[in-house]
Amino acid sequence: MIRMEIALFLILAFVAFVYFSAGRKHTLLHKTFSELLIVMLIHLVFDAVTVYTVNHLDTVDRLFNDIVHRLFIGTLVLAVYLFYKYIAILVEEETGKQRHLDIAAKIYLAVAELGVLLLPIHYAVTEKGNYSDGIHANVCYVSMVFYLILCIGTLLSSWSQMDQKKKMAIGVAFIIEVCVSVLQGLNPTWLISGMGLTLMTMAFYLTLENPDILRAQLVEQKMSMLYMKSQVNPHFLYNTLDTIRIQAQLNDDKQVADLLMRLVDFFRLSVKVDRQMVALDDELELLEAYMELMCYRYPELRCDYDIDPDLGGVLVPNFILQPVVENSLIHGLKNKGYRGRVCISAKKSKKDYRCMELEVMDTGTGFSEETKEKIKDLLLNYAKQAPKLEGNSIGILNVQKRIKLLCGREYGLSYTENEGGGVTAHLLLPISEEGWE
Amino acid sequence: MKKLKVLLVDDEMMIREGFKRLFDWKAHDCEIVGEAADGMEALAKIDTLEPDIVIMDINIPIISGLKVIEISRKKHPEIACVIVSGYDDFSYCQQALRLKITDYILKPVNYEEFGKCIDNLKVSLFEQRVSSPNKPEKQEQRVIAAITRYLREHLESEISLSVLSEEFHMNPQYISQLFKNEIGVGFLTYLTSIRMEKAKSLLLTTSLSVAEIAEETGYNDYRVFTKVFKKTEGITPSQFRRS
Repeated sequence: MIRMEIALFLILAFVAFVYFSAGRKHTLLHKTFSELLIVMLIHLVFDAVTVYTVNHLDTVDRLFNDIVHRLFIGTLVLAVYLFYKYIAILVEEETGKQRHLDIAAKIYLAVAELGVLLLPIHYAVTEKGNYSDGIHANVCYVSMVFYLILCIGTLLSSWSQMDQKKKMAIGVAFIIEVCVSVLQGLNPTWLISGMGLTLMTMAFYLTLENPDILRAQLVEQKMSMLYMKSQVNPHFLYNTLDTIRIQAQLNDDKQVADLLMRLVDFFRLSVKVDRQMVALDDELELLEAYMELMCYRYPELRCDYDIDPDLGGVLVPNFILQPVVENSLIHGLKNKGYRGRVCISAKKSKKDYRCMELEVMDTGTGFSEETKEKIKDLLLNYAKQAPKLEGNSIGILNVQKRIKLLCGREYGLSYTENEGGGVTAHLLLPISEEGWE
Repeated sequence: MKKLKVLLVDDEMMIREGFKRLFDWKAHDCEIVGEAADGMEALAKIDTLEPDIVIMDINIPIISGLKVIEISRKKHPEIACVIVSGYDDFSYCQQALRLKITDYILKPVNYEEFGKCIDNLKVSLFEQRVSSPNKPEKQEQRVIAAITRYLREHLESEISLSVLSEEFHMNPQYISQLFKNEIGVGFLTYLTSIRMEKAKSLLLTTSLSVAEIAEETGYNDYRVFTKVFKKTEGITPSQFRRS
């Protein structure tokens, strides 16, 4: 019997390890589950100890036996209380109803724990094995029934408003616990109360508290926020900007009108493109709109293009040039006060006529030794990098991943340093059949 | 050349103001005769003012711009319509094509380039007059009809005013003036316009390469062709074909 308790302890310890090592939100619900896990682990230790001591009444000291028994039942009642609390918080989060049965639960908990401490313990000795019975042992059954009634009371009015998954988790946990309690009640020597509680904990863990599911939910929330942010109705945006532009032009402010025109162009192009692959022409159009705005903001910034006209129709992954150019500006030319030049070129590869090379050359400050290594590592081990939603280098990492995914592993992004300062980004891409030449 | 009557339809006052004051209508032989802010008003004004050109926003109250055009087409098939829209959406383009819209421009409207759009309108209004069954009365109208027919038939070869003057035994200056008076646009603008028209139809209906289409439409160097195409249409030939 003791082997089962040890196994249960190990399983729960593993679950606790996974649970605590994963990042999670610190809501009341998750905190309650953490408490439950800890109480359950302690409970299982005493469970295992009592299983041994109760069957060795003649060799183990009576006082020691009593102490571990009281601790065993005490943690059991506490665990059952936490189960109730967990379900009550779950219902509250789901339906917004107050937890009005909490006071009863707490008062009962205090009374029951007092009883566990003071009530006399009696051990029944049978041929099949020993167990504790009498008024002290019955505290667990009474607690079980009491909290079960409280849970049912909480759930009864809110059951229809609950999420399907949560209903299932609670339902399964209840069925397991009731079955195990009944079996334990009918066969006192089986000593399986620990199994019931562990299974209940596992039911909640697997369905509601699984760190992977929680993380996925968190990422999903963040993504939808980002999505919402980027989804300001574009027509509203164009129309408003256009109204401002016309007003500016009516006021004879040609410069402001021009700037707004370019800004609208940039937005229009970047929203329009929803395909994975676009023509190089389209990609360059977006880049030109972006660079015109940047050059306007920083008059000493210059941008040159050297594009092989035969390559205009070649399909490239969408949105690969702008992040690279933006990187050149922010990490290279910004430190020089945006004084300098960016040169964008597209040429057929000299080594392989089925490839083309896009280059983004800047006259910025170049890489420090440290960043050089970091960027190299990032681009080389792109697959190992965890997907990021924000932060440094996300742009070029994203570009690298998409090129590798959409064009093939032999293509991609790399950096070299220029002799005269600054860096050059090389994008090696295939010339797909769609080219119009 | 009589002044062309223009009706402006847009629900935003500012946009109408912009059109009215930021584009030089006089220089393009046009005159704004009315404005409308919704579909009902537009229909009523088309009936009463009988404009030659309607500048139409798609997204207007009560009746949509496309619906207004569809309805008014039955009574006034000769009106040239320009769709002005912020909806950069292919489904609208398709509907617009079915309604034989003369031009489709996107907001924000670049007033410097809007003249090109008006030139296109004039060319298409002229084409309509030429192809209409009633015979032209004036001598000039018959001459310009003959000249433009000749141009259409010789699009792929090198044409200039002097070639035309030899072919028709007329003074080049006189021919140039004839274009301005009868169509409202210069000879070169007209030629480029019909060349681009042909290029667009070839791009859509054939699988000829861009270089071949350039040759068909009278451009020896496809780079020049691509440049001109991009300037008039706003996109490159290959982009046009893909969309």
